[in-house]
Amino acid sequence: MFKKEAVEEINPLIITQAASLSSLPVDSSSIDLVMFISKSSDISGDKLFEELSRVLKPGGEIFIQQTSDAKSSLERKLLVLGFSDIQVVQMAELQSFGIKGKKPTWKIGSSFSLKKPVKSLPKVQIDDDMDLIDEDSLLSEEDLKKPQLPPVGDCEVGSTRKACKNCTCGRAEEEEKVQKLGVTTDLLENPKSACGSCGLGDAFRCGTCPYKGLPPFKLGQKVTLSENFLAADI
Amino acid sequence: MYTILLAAMEKTRHLLILYATETGNALDAAEQLGREAEKRGCPVHILSLDEFDPSSLPLEEFVIFVVSTTGQGDTPNPMKAFWTFLLQRSLSRQWLEKTRYAVFGLGDSGYQKYNFVAKKLDKRLADLGGTAIIERGLGDDQHPSGYEGALDPWMSSLWTVLYNEYPLFFPNGLDVSVSDVKMLHPPKVDITYLDSHEVYLQSSAEIDLKSLEREIVKSRSMLSGKKSSDKSKPNCFLKMVKNHPISRPGCEKDVRHFELEALSSTIKYEVGDVVEILPGQNPEAIDAFIKRCNLNPESYIIVKHKNKEDFVEDGVTNVPINLKRFIELTMDIASASPRRYFFEVMSFYASAEHEKERLEYFASSEGRDDLYQYNQKERRTVLEVLEDFPSVNMPFEWLVQLIPPLKTRAFSISSSLLVHPNQVHLTVSIVSWTTPFKRKRTGLCSNWLASLDPNQRVCIPAWFHKGSLPAPDPSLPIILIGPGTGCAPFRGFVEERAWIDSKPAPTSPILFFFGCRNEQNDFLYKEFWSLHSQQGKVLSEEKGGGFYVAFSRDQPQKVYVQHKMREQSGKVWDLLSKGAAVYVAGSSNNMPADVLAAFEEIVADEGGVSREAAVRWLRMLEKGGKYHVEAWA
Repeated sequence: MFKKEAVEEINPLIITQAASLSSLPVDSSSIDLVMFISKSSDISGDKLFEELSRVLKPGGEIFIQQTSDAKSSLERKLLVLGFSDIQVVQMAELQSFGIKGKKPTWKIGSSFSLKKPVKSLPKVQIDDDMDLIDEDSLLSEEDLKKPQLPPVGDCEVGSTRKACKNCTCGRAEEEEKVQKLGVTTDLLENPKSACGSCGLGDAFRCGTCPYKGLPPFKLGQKVTLSENFLAADI
Repeated sequence: MYTILLAAMEKTRHLLILYATETGNALDAAEQLGREAEKRGCPVHILSLDEFDPSSLPLEEFVIFVVSTTGQGDTPNPMKAFWTFLLQRSLSRQWLEKTRYAVFGLGDSGYQKYNFVAKKLDKRLADLGGTAIIERGLGDDQHPSGYEGALDPWMSSLWTVLYNEYPLFFPNGLDVSVSDVKMLHPPKVDITYLDSHEVYLQSSAEIDLKSLEREIVKSRSMLSGKKSSDKSKPNCFLKMVKNHPISRPGCEKDVRHFELEALSSTIKYEVGDVVEILPGQNPEAIDAFIKRCNLNPESYIIVKHKNKEDFVEDGVTNVPINLKRFIELTMDIASASPRRYFFEVMSFYASAEHEKERLEYFASSEGRDDLYQYNQKERRTVLEVLEDFPSVNMPFEWLVQLIPPLKTRAFSISSSLLVHPNQVHLTVSIVSWTTPFKRKRTGLCSNWLASLDPNQRVCIPAWFHKGSLPAPDPSLPIILIGPGTGCAPFRGFVEERAWIDSKPAPTSPILFFFGCRNEQNDFLYKEFWSLHSQQGKVLSEEKGGGFYVAFSRDQPQKVYVQHKMREQSGKVWDLLSKGAAVYVAGSSNNMPADVLAAFEEIVADEGGVSREAAVRWLRMLEKGGKYHVEAWA
């Protein structure tokens, strides 16, 4: 972007013998690019550099070409003055080097809140074919309302109606209790069945049958079982 | 004469019924719908939504959808891909302009998201230009008769509307004679029996892989009634070469490491892929079943499906197969539970009155809950049910039609072909549990694999396919989260990357978070991860990666993978900003959601953005194909 502007409206101000100047006849923050070409081995005074920094717009760039080997002190100087993106550039001529830097985008002396800058997260490539509509938009107001439960008949445990998932009347607890009824050794030795169905096997036993899980048996016979039946509830 | 002419001129119009079931209820409902249609002379095609290509939906003139809503308001698994397709913004509002449809949903009004799947589907189909024949039906578990309460009246309306507008569906009119209602329709298959001496038998008695392959293709094609396709042919046969536990014997988990080697052709797969295995069944169970059903194990059979116009007779399904082999390869006798219709048909063949009554009760809408307690919750097997009703004498044709087909089981592959050519490694948790009635049950496939002795030469039929974890390019940095057996595919990732590393270019880092209960009990592949975490290796910190373990039960408070992730949030963020892809694998339940929440926190904190921005960014990551989850039940 900077390059483009330069092509359109380049209006260079050329100042020679700059090293001897203590101030520049230029407004503050008005210059986009400063080019400082120095053939002397003198390291320019601090005053001049402060002036260069003053006249530069925030975001403006400085480019320094020197023939002396004062790279690191020059770099340090720019750093101290608050320049960023400081880079050393290899030049075509030997024994000469360039340094460029950028004046930071916040003005020196201005206040800046300490909130972490909102960064933009790394870009993610998306395959546009997989762009999907929001499925929740398919539901109407009516759909989103809490559903009406069908009218409850009796709440007796043992009938075919089962406890609601969010049961508050205590029926779910009653059902739980019923499930836990177990079989005793006595019942195994001497099986009894009032209803007559217990011996027929699980398919015929009712929910409260103590023989649930056991194989079919004939009344009067001992019931065979596998190991984990008299074990405590897990 | 007139009706026959009519049939010859008109292509028979089928009603297409597409269902999405999670626990089998929607399938039951779909089949009931199908039977009612057929009673009225209307032929049907019933397909699960994962067997149907969504892009061909506009070509269908009449479709009935029967879809369940799961507890969280989600679509059932078999519907997920279809639903994603339908949600595409790119589909036009006229896409389904030629399609007429009806939706029946199964749900539970005890949940806030009552029948959300059916409601959304109904709206979306309409938005895409489809025309609803009748208003959607919503079955409710809370209703005294369950979903039938809504299905019966909805079906009546459906037949009436269909007949009024498209009478060709019902060439005989809508009246169903009273006797039809109680009568059993003939089974859908025909079985031809041959004696062994009538059949040309292979001369060699040895296990010949080619003949085994033919048997599998033949039997599975006969069962499905579909043309013998490449799908029924196994990709290869494997044999067990190593079988040992990698969890400490005696602790509550039993996890095995299996190494399988190809017996025939060379195998081809990528890391992250899935292998499907056809398990063998317990020979005692097979024999007990044959005895119980009075079958002759020596005879040979040909199974043909009636009413299947697309059933082309080919040289495979015309050849008879031994009856016992057919049962072993295709009919799940001692693992899967039969469905409701099985009990209904059984009632027709029960000679003892009390058995007949009980079976009719189980098949009715009043008895549905008791059937659920006895059958589905207890995971009653076909053999057990037949033994519980000893007076039932069901013809083999019905058994073939109704017994659940023997299914393959899928496992994530835990090896790399580059490191172990011609081998497939598996990390399998051996399944066993206790039922509500305190009976011990075991998983069919995991226990069968565990029983295989490398010294015996048992052939394992296997199929390979892609899972949800695409193999990462070696230059892609990756973040892996795989607690428990979720580490299986990542063992393949790590060993492959280690092998490729510096051949010629160095590979990108891997950051792996593993979790288990106790360091002493179930730290799966401990030596393997340690080896690859050493200096300069792919899991090492200097390379930019790392390996971190959460032992959930080694201290009073629970420590899970997401806690370890947060401890390393800087590292996680560093890799994410470098364009890393994320892979999450393991049991479903809360883990994938907890891991996603941890990522959201890390992105928000380290990236310096709001939680909402982080959530959006991660969703974009998923859309962009950089966030993969393989979660299994």
